[in-house]
Amino acid sequence: MKTLKALLLALSALLGTARLTAADEVNLFGWSEYIPQEVLDGFTSETGIKVNFETYASNEELLSKLVAGGGAYDIVQPSDYTAEVMIRRGMLAPLDPAKLPNLRNIGAQFRSLPHDPQGKFTVPYMTGTVGIVVNTEKVKDPIKGYKDVFKEKFKDRLVVLNDNREIVTWALYSLGLSINDITPASLAKARPVVANWVKLVKVFDSDSPKTALLNGDVDIGVVWSGEAALLWNENKKFHYVLPAEGAHMFVDTLCIPASAKNKDAAHKLIDYIMRPEVSKIISDKFPYTNPNLAARKLLTPEQLANPASYPASNTARTFRDIGTAAADIDKLVTDLKSAQ
Amino acid sequence: MPAATPALPVSDHSRPGWKAWALLAPMVFWLLVFVVIPGIILFVYSFCERDEVGGVIFNFSFDNYRRVFDPVYLRIFARSIGYAGLTTVICVVIGYPVAYYIGRASEELRNRLLLLVMVPFWTSFLIRTYAWITILKQEGMLNSFLAAMNLGIGPFNLLYTPTAVVIGLVYAYLPFMILPIYGSAEKLDNSLIEAAYDLGAGPIRAFSSVIVPLTMPGIAAGTLLVFVPAIGMFAITDLMGGAKVPMIGNVIQNQFLQARDWPFGAALGVIFMLMFALTYVILQRRGSRSTA
Amino acid sequence: MIEIRGVTKRFGAFTAVDNVSLTVNAGEFITLLGPSGCGKTTLLRLLAGFETPDEGAVLLDGVDVSHEPPYRRSVNQVFQSYALFPHMTVKDNVGFGLRMQNVPTAEAEGRIRDALATVSLAEQADKLPHQMSGGQRQRVALARALVCRPKVLLLDEPLSALDAKLRHGMQLELKHLQRKLGLTFVFVTHDQEEALTMSDRIAIINKGKIEQLGDATEIYHRPRTPFAADFIGQANLLAATIILRKGATATVRLESGLELVVACTDLPASATKALVSIRPEKIHIGRVPAVAENVFQAKIEEEIFQGATDQLRLITDQGTKLHALVANESATQVAFHEGDRVYCSLHLDDIVIVQAE
Repeated sequence: MKTLKALLLALSALLGTARLTAADEVNLFGWSEYIPQEVLDGFTSETGIKVNFETYASNEELLSKLVAGGGAYDIVQPSDYTAEVMIRRGMLAPLDPAKLPNLRNIGAQFRSLPHDPQGKFTVPYMTGTVGIVVNTEKVKDPIKGYKDVFKEKFKDRLVVLNDNREIVTWALYSLGLSINDITPASLAKARPVVANWVKLVKVFDSDSPKTALLNGDVDIGVVWSGEAALLWNENKKFHYVLPAEGAHMFVDTLCIPASAKNKDAAHKLIDYIMRPEVSKIISDKFPYTNPNLAARKLLTPEQLANPASYPASNTARTFRDIGTAAADIDKLVTDLKSAQ
Repeated sequence: MPAATPALPVSDHSRPGWKAWALLAPMVFWLLVFVVIPGIILFVYSFCERDEVGGVIFNFSFDNYRRVFDPVYLRIFARSIGYAGLTTVICVVIGYPVAYYIGRASEELRNRLLLLVMVPFWTSFLIRTYAWITILKQEGMLNSFLAAMNLGIGPFNLLYTPTAVVIGLVYAYLPFMILPIYGSAEKLDNSLIEAAYDLGAGPIRAFSSVIVPLTMPGIAAGTLLVFVPAIGMFAITDLMGGAKVPMIGNVIQNQFLQARDWPFGAALGVIFMLMFALTYVILQRRGSRSTA
Repeated sequence: MIEIRGVTKRFGAFTAVDNVSLTVNAGEFITLLGPSGCGKTTLLRLLAGFETPDEGAVLLDGVDVSHEPPYRRSVNQVFQSYALFPHMTVKDNVGFGLRMQNVPTAEAEGRIRDALATVSLAEQADKLPHQMSGGQRQRVALARALVCRPKVLLLDEPLSALDAKLRHGMQLELKHLQRKLGLTFVFVTHDQEEALTMSDRIAIINKGKIEQLGDATEIYHRPRTPFAADFIGQANLLAATIILRKGATATVRLESGLELVVACTDLPASATKALVSIRPEKIHIGRVPAVAENVFQAKIEEEIFQGATDQLRLITDQGTKLHALVANESATQVAFHEGDRVYCSLHLDDIVIVQAE
């Protein structure tokens, strides 16, 4: 009898917390190593809203979790092409501009990108590019594009992202083909190029490609711009180059799932993140390209001079969702890698 | 009833009563929730199709299995088995003498040595793997040491090579070879070894014709514990091999995390489980033959 | 054949074998008898080569083999646990030694067959050890050692795991086999009855030393030490004072005052005190006195029926307590009962001085 009472008490306590969740908590599902805890703590102390933070390591992980119906999230942080699918599938709620006054801080060029042309569902968090980083102490040749990197003389001196779509994208760029219109014909053309390239690479690493460069195991990398920016901060010998043939730009966004319970608090947190002084904290820690122009004004000249964070000219394009072609790309690269 | 029990000891052994089931219940529950049900889901998914986002559509076909037998993936299976086989052999060669020595040592020494074998498990596997990276990298501890010793050998270009992968695999799985062999060696009756010597067997022949066959169950268990997980290992090939050569574990991981093709990943997983079962059956047969 | 010269073996501070010398003759059945921990097994292991002596030497056919490993000694051992290889058939177990000596297959086949026939296991050649009974395993172990034609066969308590009936059968069988094949056996046991049944000579071992060496009758009838008297069979050990000596006889007085005439051959002249041993079955009990050097009266305190014998606890009129054994010769025999007064008769040869000072 006593046990039963205790159980009932515990149960009602649980139900109580569940109700509380709706009022002053917000559930954030974001990339790991991307949102400083400082920012979330600042938000909580100002508004009293508690942030429950869960992380993922890939867009696919985010998607599969949402598709499977796991977790009731109020804010998610998909990249451009993933946001595109989510919008198409009705998985995102439209944002209320009236609740996001800080939206005006975001540069216009980041407000109408192909994945969300009217900017109805997403606001950009950080953007970046995939480019070439060169250890200029070891490599004296001028490096301008992919064709300068993937050469026999640099065999076993290269690190590239361990991401099959990226590699195929570079090959498509170098062939002058569309990176978002994947057809069997375009893959057939890319195949021999990728086949040659994978033989030259020493390390495939998406998580921390800077490590191999810092360790001296390789001299050139095709990596995220944020990694390149950190390398430049470490040592000015690491130069960042946007490939002449074309580069991939990614935009990581903040958006609210259609199923979110606490849309109000979600809007508050998104707006908080777009404050210039808050956005600056993020730039200090993760030196990607900050789309928040007001925040950029707060950065040091040195931060703004980092060629990886703020390249001189940016002609890079974003990925679009390619649906089932992702599987074809995966098979192509897997095949070529294992054929070595 | 109690009087009848001693007369029917056989039925007592073969069928657990409700008390036995009550004791087994947590394990049965665990197996059901974490092994059987996921296994069934995996099996069902492997006959389905993926949709655009990466969801699973229940459209029954054998397409995924047809893809598994595509030469691309067969070659990867073969390579994974090769690496795992090499790892297993090296683990036996290195692990056997260690395990045998520990098994025959005095009890006090034995417990200390066993503790040493377990010590690596106190640290996270990833941290230990990163430690190997700092040892093997171009400007790492090994090459610095060789340079400092001025021996005229090195520097070696080890990290991100197949050698590094095998070093990583052997390091990760060696304890799983040592512990079961230790178990067999510890149980080995010393008078059997003495009998072999007494009958004229020198140390080598006593080892090959008595000690090895009698510790075969340990070697078989160790092989199972090393070979099968080594086939599926992907973290080491990524971190120490530079993700250059995909192993079957990498391919499966990619289906779930990059290619958004759960059904194909499931089919690869099912084949992988079948391989495990096959290895088990083969080793079990050999084991029961040698110690029947 | 085998010569052990002043061998000492220590394990840390414990001396397992203490300056032991012993010669074993060819074709002899010698038993090392003693309680557990007395050093008999260590002595055997020194012969086999599993231990090396700290001092002294082990010679085999005149050659010092003290530091030869077991696989270079032409002795073989039958282990207490049999130590059959569980992964080999009976045939392969028996053939193991021959394989190690690289005996040609054809010859080996014949020898294995003979060895198995010798121990009556010809039909069981293809069985695995765990499919056999204890007695059969014992025979396999024997065959496995015999097939190597060792100069000496060492047996370490080989019968201790068998039940009493089987043990008796095997004792006789082993003895028979040893005689038939003319082999030299060194047999270790803690079972005095086994030792008496089988051995040509017995070495009684206590605390790492040989207490007494001799054939079975000598050991039994003429124990030299209190330990030998007590360990073999049963004995009444009684403290006495030597009160008179006359040639090969002496008169001793027990603590109770009872005086006995005993035989003494090598009693030191200065000795005044002695410990005498009387075997229980040697005390003749009767309603009337029998002809003997010593005759005294006693009362039966307790009587225990033991099948072939009756065990009696007696107290003499002087107050000495004695054990006696009486054969139950026929069912109609008038039994002794508690409280009966009887005559005890003892020949002087049946009272042995085991200690004197």
